[in-house]
Parts: sequence; structure tokens; C-alpha cells
Amino acid sequence: MPAETHVEGSPIGRPEILTLVKERLADILEIDVTEVGEGDSFADDLDADSLALIELVEAIEEELSERTVGFRFEDEDLEDLRTVRDAVDYVVSRLG
Amino acid sequence: MTTSLPIAVDAMGGDRAPSEIVAGARLAKENHGIDVVLVGRSEELTDCGDLEVIEASEVIAMDAEPGSSVRRLKDSSLVRAAEAVRDGRASAMVSAGNTGATMASALLRMGRIKGVSRPAIATLLPAPGTTPTVLLDAGANAECKPEWLAQFGQMGAVFAQDRLNISSPRVGLLSIGEEPGKGSPLVKETYAEMQTVNWGTAEFIGNVEGRDLLTDEVDVVVTDGFTGNVALKTLEGALKNLMLALFSAMGERPEAAEAAAQLGPEFDQIYRFFHPDTYGGAMLLGVKGVCVISHGSSGAQAMENAIKVAAEMVETKVVEHLTEAIAG
Repeated sequence: MPAETHVEGSPIGRPEILTLVKERLADILEIDVTEVGEGDSFADDLDADSLALIELVEAIEEELSERTVGFRFEDEDLEDLRTVRDAVDYVVSRLG
Repeated sequence: MTTSLPIAVDAMGGDRAPSEIVAGARLAKENHGIDVVLVGRSEELTDCGDLEVIEASEVIAMDAEPGSSVRRLKDSSLVRAAEAVRDGRASAMVSAGNTGATMASALLRMGRIKGVSRPAIATLLPAPGTTPTVLLDAGANAECKPEWLAQFGQMGAVFAQDRLNISSPRVGLLSIGEEPGKGSPLVKETYAEMQTVNWGTAEFIGNVEGRDLLTDEVDVVVTDGFTGNVALKTLEGALKNLMLALFSAMGERPEAAEAAAQLGPEFDQIYRFFHPDTYGGAMLLGVKGVCVISHGSSGAQAMENAIKVAAEMVETKVVEHLTEAIAG
């Protein structure tokens, strides 16, 4: 389901979204960004608990809301986000 | 007692909110001179005297899922209370509401102290003849890693120093035997981890057992949140039922009833000593602000005590001391 969004600035591509997710996650987990892999599981590989995932989601929403009005993760979709790739694909699909 | 900023009290949180919460806030102001700001629906806060109110239109239910409710109910009293601390409008927050949501609000709005793996809930257990024992984690993290538990020990030691004025707290790891080889794989790995920690003026004394919780054998007891919560609730239930059994036995013979009447003040003292309300709630350690979590069933006296504890923790600068300890 596409988000009801309005892009204010230049379109953001998948590589930028991947970088954004990795950087925010590294900040939250206090690890080096190079330790975050695209295929990593939040729970199994990165020790991220459910609150860390919510911190990530809110950080991405805040970042993207400056460029894309109305961007938001739907709460009911959060449990499907198990890996970094899942989160990136979700953002890409919502912006698409 | 004075703090530069008021204590933000979640007026809508708890089984007896808002009336008992408001009454407790007024007692804190009247009896201790603590400045309090209530957070909640002003139209329901009818008897708040001259206390200020921060408007919050929503309430997180006691049984709501913590993470999603904090995310969804942005104008809830819990979230607004945490934001008041974050934004410098309050010095601390106190809530008798949903424990998980209180923790989530504090974590998501105030943020985590740099270097803290997981915040933990520290609670006080009454120990006859000595200072209370700090138990953590009392329920924030059901599953833990050895390094998180070791860090809980560090935070618990700082809390014992600031809250109980114990200069060299003895930190123990809850297990099923005193020997290092006793316990689950997690306990054994944690034991090894805790031996590598720089404890500063505190001391790691090894494993302790459940029977040590209410004694002078240890000042800080570390365990995972699942075990800690089971231990806490078991003690609360056991002590409550012990008192009920005692009162019941005292009424069985006229001579016993007469003796009980004479010992009324002592029984009342013992009852209060063991009652959770006396200790003013638990503190969430590891977030960038003072967050006191009171019992869901808190009445006015429990809230008064919780607010007093929050003010004391602001004054002792416990958050700054935790930050320094974790930074090493």
C-alpha cells in the first residue's frame, strides 16, 4: 500500500535509504556502522529489542518527514520488519 | 526539599488514578515542599489545588502494549510527562501507570545514557535492622545477556550509593548456591563477566541466594527481569500473607486478641516496614532522566513517597553519577 506522501526535495534512492537505516541503527545500538549488514536480523544479529526498533522507526520518520510529507511506518507492519533489508524495502515501497 | 524544576506526575496512570494520584501530589507539596506538575486531562483533575497541570488528552491503559501505545498515543499523560523532562519543564517523572509503557516513554523520549545496553528497574526490598536491599532488574528485561547483567550491577551500586547512602555497596548475583559453579549458564557466564568489571568503591561479592534478599548479607542483588519480578512478587505475596496469618491467629483466643491490641503500634510498624508503598516505587536506571515507577495500586501515600524519592534522586544527581560510572 503506497503512503500518502508528498516529496518536497529530490527523490531519495535505495542506496541512500540503506545508508540512513544503517546509520540510525548504529547510533541507537552504539555500534560502528560497518557492523550493520543489510541482511542482518535486528534481534538475532544486532541484539536490537522491540524498543530499539521503535527508536529506529521514529528516527527514520523524523528524517524523512523533512523531505517527504506524511511519511510514516504503519504500526501493524512493524512486526514484519525483521531485518535491515526488510526495513529498507519497506521505506522504498512506501516512498514509491 | 527544593528542586529547581517540578516533578512531572502522570495523573492518569494507576488503578486509583486520578484522585489518589492527585492527593499524593498534594501531600508531597504540603508535607515536603516539593513542586509538582500534574500531567493529564485537566477536566478530570478537579481537586488539584494550586498544582499546575500539563494538558494531555490521552491515557495509556494499564494492559496496553507498551511500544505501540507510546508511539500511537503521543498526547498521553505518560508520553507528555517524559517529554516534560526531556524538554526541561520538569526534573523527573513519576507514574503508577503501565510499567512497560512508562519504561518505553522514558526510553523513547528522554533517551538512553550513552553506553547503557538496557535500562533496568531497581526496586528496594526491606531488610530488618539494616538498609534495604536493591534488587535489579525487577522486570524490564525478561531475557538478558551476561554483559547487561554486569552493567545492572554497576548501575545498582551507584543507585545504592545515592539512594541509600552506602559508600561501598556489596553487589551479589542471584543464584541457587554461593559457589561460582552454581546456577544456569547465564548466571555462570555473568559471574565471570562481573569479575572483570571495575567496581570502583563497590565490591562484587559473588553469588547470593534468595534467602539473602532481606538480610544484611548484600546491598545490591542482580538478576534478569523475569527472575527479579518473580522474586519481588513472591516476596510481596509472602509477606502480605504472613501478616494476614499473624492477624488471624491473634484473633483466635481472647488472650491473644488482648495481647495483639497491646502490640498494635508494633504490628503497625512491622506492616508499614514491609509494605511496598513505604519505599516509594522503583527507579528506571539507564535513561537520561529520573523516572520513578510506582505500584499500579498506589494510593496517596505511595505517590507522596514516590514523588519524594524522585526529588531526592534529582538532588543527589543520580543520573549524572550513572553516566560517569558507565563511561568508566
